Amino acid sequence: MGKGKPFLEVMSSAIHEDYRFPFLELFAFLYAIGTFVFASFGVTIGTQGTAQGTTNEIIAYGAVSSTLSLPLFIFIILVFKNIAYGLGSDLEKGIIQTYFSYPLRRRGILTAKLLSALGIALILFLGIQLSGLYILAPDIVLPQLGTVILTYAANLSYPLLIAGIMLLLTLKLRRGGISLIAGLVLYFAMSIISSIATVFAWASESPLGLQIISMINPSLALQQYYGGTFEFWIPAFSEVLIYTGVSYVIVAIVFFLGYTYFSRRLNL
Amino acid sequence: MSLIVAEDLAKSYGRVVAVDGLSLSLDEGSVTGLIGPNGAGKTTTIKMVLGLLKPDKGWVKVFGQDPWDNTAIRSMIGVVYEKAFFPAHQKTLEYLQRVCRVFGVPESRAMEVLELVDLQEASDRQIKALSAGMLQKFAIAHALVHKPKLIVADEMTANLDPQARSELLDLVLRLHKDEKVTFLLSSHILPELSMVCDSVAIINRGKVWAFGKLTELYEKYAVGIIRISTDSSYALESEIKKLNYVKELESDIRGVSVRVAEGKEDELYEDVLKLAKKIKAKILGIETGSASLQELYRLAISGKERK
Repeated sequence: MGKGKPFLEVMSSAIHEDYRFPFLELFAFLYAIGTFVFASFGVTIGTQGTAQGTTNEIIAYGAVSSTLSLPLFIFIILVFKNIAYGLGSDLEKGIIQTYFSYPLRRRGILTAKLLSALGIALILFLGIQLSGLYILAPDIVLPQLGTVILTYAANLSYPLLIAGIMLLLTLKLRRGGISLIAGLVLYFAMSIISSIATVFAWASESPLGLQIISMINPSLALQQYYGGTFEFWIPAFSEVLIYTGVSYVIVAIVFFLGYTYFSRRLNL
Repeated sequence: MSLIVAEDLAKSYGRVVAVDGLSLSLDEGSVTGLIGPNGAGKTTTIKMVLGLLKPDKGWVKVFGQDPWDNTAIRSMIGVVYEKAFFPAHQKTLEYLQRVCRVFGVPESRAMEVLELVDLQEASDRQIKALSAGMLQKFAIAHALVHKPKLIVADEMTANLDPQARSELLDLVLRLHKDEKVTFLLSSHILPELSMVCDSVAIINRGKVWAFGKLTELYEKYAVGIIRISTDSSYALESEIKKLNYVKELESDIRGVSVRVAEGKEDELYEDVLKLAKKIKAKILGIETGSASLQELYRLAISGKERK
């Protein structure tokens, strides 16, 4: 017997639970509404950017940023639900114990669960977003694909970091409630911390705080690059790429810790 | 051949020692019962056997291999937990068909195992809609899907009604006899274990206090035991305690179990009748060497406690 089937069956079972009616339908609807309603504003706002990059890049950045604002929040809610409520309750109720009786390695079980919790949510989010953008503004998406991808990458790394932290908390505590609260706190804390750092940057004319935040939330650096409000900090494109890269390294480390804990230490 | 061998296993949860130097060996083809009071370490032992918990000390081998994250042995083991855990929103037959695909057995096996536990009529029901008893039966069906060589069950009959318990014990005996399945069963319901087990391990405070074939254990702990059934067991116990030839004494609400020095049995009968008259206790019966598993368990525990 090959190793593929237990993995696919566990993943399919996880998808069945995570996206049972009406979750898939509801979230797909909300993504679509968010994408199409906000896209019309996006192009207009995008054309007003002036800082760095070509005009077309700024338009593409503005369009993507505006269309993803609400769907990104919906994506975060869906991921929070899947990790805290889905994985958390699987651990709490003991469904993971049942999966541990199948011929599948622990890391395979976690991958199957995460592909369902995060992977499907991401595919759904990006699929509807890119389709919406392509339908509404095909001349932006294809010619400026690099900018579009970078904007999504920069905006997704912080939610993925929170998802990773929630995963660690859920595995450690073996329940999802506290990790859900932690996830929400971290999500809203970023806005507060960014605001404080912005005020501090204005007052001190030092971008240090913003640069540190950009390492975990590179959308801030990207925002400065394409339409920055601070004259004292307009990062170079390579700098934006570095912030984005560093943020994904941090995300990868957090998920690696989660995998290591699940595979080697998690006692049920 | 031993299917499970555990040597000097230890596991603590913080300061609480759950298992403390436990050693055990389970022969192929046996039905072994794990018995012990709450908190004795039965579930922790089973979890270490199944690779769900890593021992702090010692080792366990199942089919000659370390069970931690070991996929090779899982196709040979069926597991039934005290509380059954399955994805709640899936239908019973559909989920078992999925499990068939996981283990690479024909999907028709799903209906076979549902019929085996008399759940065929619930095949279209969502798992969350099953009653506690039905869920336990479903867990047993789930454990049987891949025709395992070893079934490990923790309090398997806990949620079942007497009829379902009896059917399940029949099923255990049938699987053991016809398909040579080896069982490791933990249960608080000792009369049940005595019906199906050929060996028992008595666990207390994280250690195996007595382990062996039931016949050997009876010989070791129950031969020479005289069971006195009475309506005033504790009063009678305090009187019998004063007899100088009494070696072991245990009582419960229904009577007193006594072991006496060799050749003193007749003397005990006479003394018990006198003492009963003195304290106005009613003697309902006196039996020799007829300890139940429950008494055997109590004698083994009390014997060790005294040592």
